[in-house]
Amino acid sequence: MRIIIVGGGKVGHTLAEQLIEEGHEITIIDRSEVVIQRSMDELDALTIQGSGVSAGTLTEAGVQQADIVIAVTISDEINMLCSLLSKRLGAQYTISRIRDPEYMKSLSFLKKELWIDYAINPERNTALEISRILRYPFSGGVETFARGQVEMMDFRLGPEDGLIGIRLQDLEKRRPDLPRVLYCLVERDHQAMIPKGDFVFEEQDRVFVASDIKTITSYFRALGKNTERVHKVMIMGGGRIAYYLTQMLLEMKVQVSIIEINPEQARTLSEAFPSANIILGDGTDRELLVSEDIGTYDAFITLTGRDEENIMAGLSARQNHVRKAIVKSNRDHYADMLTALGIDSILSPRQVTANTILRAVRTRMNAQIAQAVQRMYRLMDGQAEALEFIVHKDDPFVHKPLKNLRFRPNALLGVIVRGSQVHVPGGNSMLEPEDRVIVITLDSGVTALGEVIL
Amino acid sequence: MNRRLVLHMLGKLLLLEAALLVPSLLVAYYYRDDLLPFWYTLGILLAAGLPLYLARPRDGLELHAREGFAVVGLAWVLLSAFGALPFMFSGATTYYWDALFETVSGFTTTGASVLPAVEGLPRSILFWRSFTHWVGGMGVLVLTLALMPRISQHTTHLARAESPGPSYSKLLPRMADTSRVLYLVYASMTIVLIVALLASGMPMFDSIIHALGTAGTGGFSSRNLSVGAYNNPVAEMLIMAFMFLFGTNFFVYFCLLRGDGFKAFRNEELRAYYGIGLGAIVLIAINILPHYGDVWTALRHASFQVSSIMSTTGYATDNFDLWPQFSRILLLMLMLIGASAGSTAGGIKVVRTVLMGKVVRREVVHTLHPRKVEVVKLDGKAVPEATLSQVGIFLFVYFALLMLGTLVASLDGHDFISCFSATASCLSNIGPGLSLVGPHGNYTSFSPALKYMFSFLMLAGRLEFFPLLVLFVPSLWRNGR
Repeated sequence: MRIIIVGGGKVGHTLAEQLIEEGHEITIIDRSEVVIQRSMDELDALTIQGSGVSAGTLTEAGVQQADIVIAVTISDEINMLCSLLSKRLGAQYTISRIRDPEYMKSLSFLKKELWIDYAINPERNTALEISRILRYPFSGGVETFARGQVEMMDFRLGPEDGLIGIRLQDLEKRRPDLPRVLYCLVERDHQAMIPKGDFVFEEQDRVFVASDIKTITSYFRALGKNTERVHKVMIMGGGRIAYYLTQMLLEMKVQVSIIEINPEQARTLSEAFPSANIILGDGTDRELLVSEDIGTYDAFITLTGRDEENIMAGLSARQNHVRKAIVKSNRDHYADMLTALGIDSILSPRQVTANTILRAVRTRMNAQIAQAVQRMYRLMDGQAEALEFIVHKDDPFVHKPLKNLRFRPNALLGVIVRGSQVHVPGGNSMLEPEDRVIVITLDSGVTALGEVIL
Repeated sequence: MNRRLVLHMLGKLLLLEAALLVPSLLVAYYYRDDLLPFWYTLGILLAAGLPLYLARPRDGLELHAREGFAVVGLAWVLLSAFGALPFMFSGATTYYWDALFETVSGFTTTGASVLPAVEGLPRSILFWRSFTHWVGGMGVLVLTLALMPRISQHTTHLARAESPGPSYSKLLPRMADTSRVLYLVYASMTIVLIVALLASGMPMFDSIIHALGTAGTGGFSSRNLSVGAYNNPVAEMLIMAFMFLFGTNFFVYFCLLRGDGFKAFRNEELRAYYGIGLGAIVLIAINILPHYGDVWTALRHASFQVSSIMSTTGYATDNFDLWPQFSRILLLMLMLIGASAGSTAGGIKVVRTVLMGKVVRREVVHTLHPRKVEVVKLDGKAVPEATLSQVGIFLFVYFALLMLGTLVASLDGHDFISCFSATASCLSNIGPGLSLVGPHGNYTSFSPALKYMFSFLMLAGRLEFFPLLVLFVPSLWRNGR
């Protein structure tokens, strides 16, 4: 597809890189000469220096023939105006980043009037991600498939799980108490692998499992993990993410404390969330944390605008025996280092945004090609992907036992959802029309089930 | 530097060169020439290229600027070194330095020759000589990008290092598509020229040779007297027009193809290029009028020579070395300027001259109004200051190499105008110079060491110095992985 990305910053760049890999034709518009130079050097894309709200620049970028225009500049207003202009100039579909909570309130009206097809709010998406992680504190992330019927979670193997040293094919014999789930993916030494029958679990493996919600819950109960529910959370930095997150957490009946350094912002937060505990002060101040009984909190979430501060505060909270530290950092290359130091989750709003937009682009593509990726998640810095497809009645592999079919190497046919039943497939399982299938793959850019079942 | 990646890319290019020998093989087969020179070369290329190509880099396909420049610089050196082999095997040249000079002159679209008489040579060898022009004109790496699957997103470095001009602009989002469009336009124009030359009465083989030489703005001919040998005014006018056309920025054609004529003709370089060309034709025609005696003949030779020199092709219809001093010096100046960026031609390029003119104008105004802020614009768009300073640096390197080259060339004891024009001609990839290396002269009389130096200058000029100069930086060769 022809895609124009307006704003070549971190998000735009990550997006472009991924979309080019998937074979799209990308044009990047940015006002900064430096950004344009960098895009020209590093991306196989057309670059145009100019403003995304100038009809001339957009026309030069070929907006009339564009399938999608993605506006991800730093300014909401430019993004919105860019969407409106592009649409009026002939673009098929527009995606716009809108972050101001004030705009979010009237989003549906704005979307209609400004011809925005898809609006993404990075802060809200990041907050959503954090609230998921909090609900499943042992897990690094939760992804849902098949209209929420299937969940995929990852956790790091410790000696207490009693899985270490067991071969995957012997698992049912050795641990009959564990409900049957699908072991989709394992990360060992930063390398993604799809576990086969002869796979042996090792300590520190990050294991991704998938099944329906009930089975997953009982699986983790059997592993002795679900006692760790979060009741008390401290948030450092009262910005937009904190705003959305507090809203979500309060709905979940979690106690929230927010440390905010700016008195005015603290007042606003207190006004918005009377039941939250707003503390005026510096989150990096150890005295303050100790006096607030930091040790009694279940989770410490750092959301200030400075990555370094977030990381240091997260580490210091871990030292003060907070069970879980979640850190916002846009420099995702620190992630490996930080997990080694004991930070549980590192969230990059940029990565979250890029992922969400990628998902939207793929969904949009599906509207154009018959067979379709229903949902897509990038796992482990894009080393692996989890995709959801719907089986069509004309597919050549329908009604054939799986053991007779050939599969793409580096791919795993995960869970099959039939109506409200969730199956973990075996060799004799068959695919039927309208089944929803979840596929795990180590290759990027798979767009159809036919590319997985050869 | 990621050596494995560079070696892999070079392997790919050697294989491509092996494939490029195929047309010459067919010509040799058709004219019953000796096939062995080409088979030997093909075998050597495969033997050298395949192991390199198959040793795929294990990790890190990221092609950074340093790898890009190293690949381009080394590729051109290697392609010339191997491309010289058919000349050796066929006995067209006795010494390797002559063969290398001839091949470098081919790939860099210079057209300077050390072969004393071309008319006795096998046709397949003549074809290979001219075919190197055609490939070298648009660029070998651009061809690779058009034909081979993408290995890295960073391929712009390759295209930028190879394409002439101060700034590189992509035409389409994908590098591969851009390269394909360029080659498509290039090939179509070449075919049109072949057909037109045939229609003008030129023989088949000669039409192809001259079309290839014109397209690459190279200048190798199948006749000792170049285009003048045919005494065919129609063919001359055709070649004259197409030399101008191939010296035009291909971006203009792309705009025309897209139906954006306004944008195409707004191009300042285009207007300056044809403006300078027309001005020079008029001045020279007036100057040589007494020499020929009638306006039509004067115009005919003036326009052909100006087009030939400005587009850095180097064909000749008459011995312009015998023209009055004013015309000779004017042609020498045109040699330095050259044609447009983004074309197949060499030289300093019109766009750099235009930009430098604007910078000088700004500097003069700035002396009077020291606090005045002024942005240099080209085609209505602001030119980054970095680009302007790069143009200045380019000019310095150009003239530094011109001076040094002239100095070294003087060691052979030839006169100043020969040494200077030969160096300028090699640096600008033209071919003929004045006096000793004039249109009816030759580079044979230079010593072997000087032939190596001229080969280096031709490569340096074609690649606009930096891809070749970085090869001399020791830190480039340290393995990064």
